[in-house]
Amino acid sequence: MIVLEAVAARRRPLALASVSVEWGPGVHAVLGRREDGGALLLAIVAGAARPRSGRVTVLGGGPRDPAVRARVATVPLDPALPDALRVDETLALAAALRGEDAQDPAERLRVLGIEALAARAVRSLSLPEARAVALAEAVSSSRVRVLLVEEPLLAMDPRAAALVPERLRARGADGWTVVVLTASSHDAGAIADDHAVLRRGAITARATAIEALSGASPLGARVRVAAHDSNDARALVAALARAADVEAVALDGACVVARGPDALALARSVGRSIVDAGLDVAELRVDPVLEGETSSPGATT
Amino acid sequence: MIAPLARLPIARLVRTPRAWIVAGAWCALAVGMAVVMRSRGASHGADDVLIEAFGALVLPLLAYTLVGAALGARSMAGSTAAVAAFGASRARAAAATVGIAVAAPALGGALVAAAVALVAHGASDPPRTHDALVSAYAGALGGAAYGAWFSLGAGFGRRGGGRLAALLVDWVLGAGGGVMALLAPRAHVRNLLGGAPPMDLSERASAVALVVLAVVCALGAVARGRRDPTP
Repeated sequence: MIVLEAVAARRRPLALASVSVEWGPGVHAVLGRREDGGALLLAIVAGAARPRSGRVTVLGGGPRDPAVRARVATVPLDPALPDALRVDETLALAAALRGEDAQDPAERLRVLGIEALAARAVRSLSLPEARAVALAEAVSSSRVRVLLVEEPLLAMDPRAAALVPERLRARGADGWTVVVLTASSHDAGAIADDHAVLRRGAITARATAIEALSGASPLGARVRVAAHDSNDARALVAALARAADVEAVALDGACVVARGPDALALARSVGRSIVDAGLDVAELRVDPVLEGETSSPGATT
Repeated sequence: MIAPLARLPIARLVRTPRAWIVAGAWCALAVGMAVVMRSRGASHGADDVLIEAFGALVLPLLAYTLVGAALGARSMAGSTAAVAAFGASRARAAAATVGIAVAAPALGGALVAAAVALVAHGASDPPRTHDALVSAYAGALGGAAYGAWFSLGAGFGRRGGGRLAALLVDWVLGAGGGVMALLAPRAHVRNLLGGAPPMDLSERASAVALVVLAVVCALGAVARGRRDPTP
């Protein structure tokens, strides 16, 4: 439903370099930051920006085709809602513009548990509330088939945040193409069926499991280990201090974060250290390290 | 499709109390000056107030205020972003917004001009009803031209700061009677209201010039409004 062929684009300070990707029905994650070109990528798919070169096909047509645009919904970090209207009027306007039958606004908002916002003026909404309204409009639409969401769990109304992964996956299962742009590998893993890493305007890796991308980051990988208590965590830190392939270790309560250049070697070292220390851990997760991220809060040994 | 697209600029106009207060103040100024002229028994009271206060000051500032309200104090492109997010054509959304931004000052200008002509009517002014109708016509035409003029101005600048530049350009160019004055609504409005014409143009020619200015500026504003904002 979304096909990008060798798409290059520039809109300062963002740029894309020869991006080729094909997304069908389901939930797809683009792992990267706005500065990596993710926002520009979504704008191109939504028809809000033009590529310099390459070809973009959305729902079988061009992204700027009016019939296509009405079936594409975008929820950016700072959504533009009609400032002078109430939330219920906004939903009625959206329905009229998308060419769909009017539905009860409260019912539409209930999909994300925010029906209490129906009578509020858009001007009075906080950013998380506005994002939740924009997302509720999109997921409750009968016309939308492509949904583009920037950081679905960031700055999201807490009532809606708990329902967002389930609703997005449900739309993917309904045959929608849902693309989420996020810098969080945890959020991407929780929501999406497949993942692409976007770095400095280029897709550098793709995989169906987020763990498989751990070694794809040029900045290395990170293993988070949740110990049962702080004593176990300190014992693990001591074991990791002697381990090979571990560049840095951080301790935060009962959680230990180890960082290294190679995901597989790091995971082996952490596993060996856990066994050597005779520990039983509650959780172990491997993440790629994203540009600009620090390894972990807390003391580093 | 146009009707839903017009909902937002109309709602902005109707639900922005600050704009109503400011617009009301400009209207009150014009009518207040008309009342003063009437109390003084000026023989050309209507002409004096229409030319010196209404055409030169009240109409442009009233239009400036109403256009700002219709656009939500944003740029042209920014004012259409909310409806474009629901799949609306940016060009149509911009056309609907400009339509409201032109209609509101035209209506306001007509009403205030007619009110001034009626209230300040002097012994040497034309017949009261005729004067009110002609003044309303001039106010409507001038208001429409100013609406399009400021809409085009709002097409420039991240938050539509070009609107203020358009106000200043109109004041500077329209104050004179030379060639450059032909480019500013102010000079033509003054001519229509019975003041000094730019380049000795007839009133009919100034009316045509205002229509041309309104159309050209409106088209320019739509062209600016259909541009995509930075993601």
